[in-house]
Amino acid sequence: MPVLRLPKFGKPVKYAYITGRVRAMKTKLIPNEMYARMLNMDIPEIARYLEETQYKEEIDALAKDYSGAELIEHATFANLAKTYRKLLEVSIDEPQFLILEYLRRWDIWNIKTILRGKFYGASDSEIMKYIVPAGELDREFLEGLAKKDSINDVIAAFEGTDFAEALSKYDGKFLASVENALDKLYYFRMERAVGGTLSVGGGLLLKYVRREIDIKNLITLFRMNKAGIEASIVQENLIPGGKLGEELSRMAGQPYADFVRGLEGYPFWSAISDVATADLDGVSRIEARLKAYLIRYAWSLSNYHPLSILPVLGYIVTKETEVANIRKIVRGKEAGLPNELIEEQMVVA
Amino acid sequence: MAITDAGVMYGLLAVGAGLATGLAGIGAGVGEQGIGAAVVGVVAEEPGFLGKGLFLMLLPETLIIFGLAVSLILMFAWSPFAALL
Repeated sequence: MPVLRLPKFGKPVKYAYITGRVRAMKTKLIPNEMYARMLNMDIPEIARYLEETQYKEEIDALAKDYSGAELIEHATFANLAKTYRKLLEVSIDEPQFLILEYLRRWDIWNIKTILRGKFYGASDSEIMKYIVPAGELDREFLEGLAKKDSINDVIAAFEGTDFAEALSKYDGKFLASVENALDKLYYFRMERAVGGTLSVGGGLLLKYVRREIDIKNLITLFRMNKAGIEASIVQENLIPGGKLGEELSRMAGQPYADFVRGLEGYPFWSAISDVATADLDGVSRIEARLKAYLIRYAWSLSNYHPLSILPVLGYIVTKETEVANIRKIVRGKEAGLPNELIEEQMVVA
Repeated sequence: MAITDAGVMYGLLAVGAGLATGLAGIGAGVGEQGIGAAVVGVVAEEPGFLGKGLFLMLLPETLIIFGLAVSLILMFAWSPFAALL
């Protein structure tokens, strides 16, 4: 396992190239006001619009095999993986190390997708549709996994790696415990690789990731407290390592109204204050607001540390959100959902 | 010990003049390395930025002119051979 050990001198300059580049890449993302217009387009129109943006190459390449919503789903994931791989290719030493450490989340995503696909008996081509080979595990390896016959074969393929222990939690009935263990493993590995060093860049990465864990835990709390689930079960599902870890774990199992009242005064409260009411019927709106808050947090932190990993993280999260938004619009359109409902789910920072 | 020899004095002046330009150059270089890297990064994505980027890159270069001016003043303001002319 590589651990970050680099001299402290002359580091910000190593970030100059990659931060300059991601800031230029950021200007090419789809502007927020476009989402409202995309909501009023039909699917072929959206595909045509995407052809005018950075998705052109993927749309053109995949147009002969797919059409409609399928085409857009494939093209967006292909573009996402390509963009992330590019970030890894154009960066060196410390930035590259930290970007890879952060992108390992896609390894977890891919393993989860394959497990879920196998669990519900999906075909390997169907599973490969949802694979984003942006982390350490490459497409060929993942394709090999998707072709395996059963979940146990997939788990056996990870024998001797870090994933083995998390995957051994599979009991043959539910995937939830394995998925939780995988999430925890991701953050544990990041802490192990970056946490013990004095590196400034690594510290900033952890600072952002700790906030991310808090937001994830908060979303879990909203969902589970709303459903009135027992405190001990909620606590089991929280990811350790967040900055507000203990405070949030104390909130587990509280009655919903008390829980919402207790959140006042936290930095993220202003993002959700107008939607987080005691009689809220769904948490998707809060989830979208919290995710938008996280994006704004990454970009505002990067104003304080312009030559650091933070602008890159900001770009990674913004890009991921963009792809998620496009897919939400397209899937919502395909299912015939009303525009208001789709808009509620979208994350606009 | 007082330096009385005009030749030694002139020599020291020349060293000072050299240091003024040289150190200014090193400083400008240190300033430019980050800007240069960032500009190359942006131009890789957005070729139209090249003109603006070059301008930003050359900004620290202006500092060398101050160093150079100081050197010229040092070299020509006083000369031990002035009395011979």
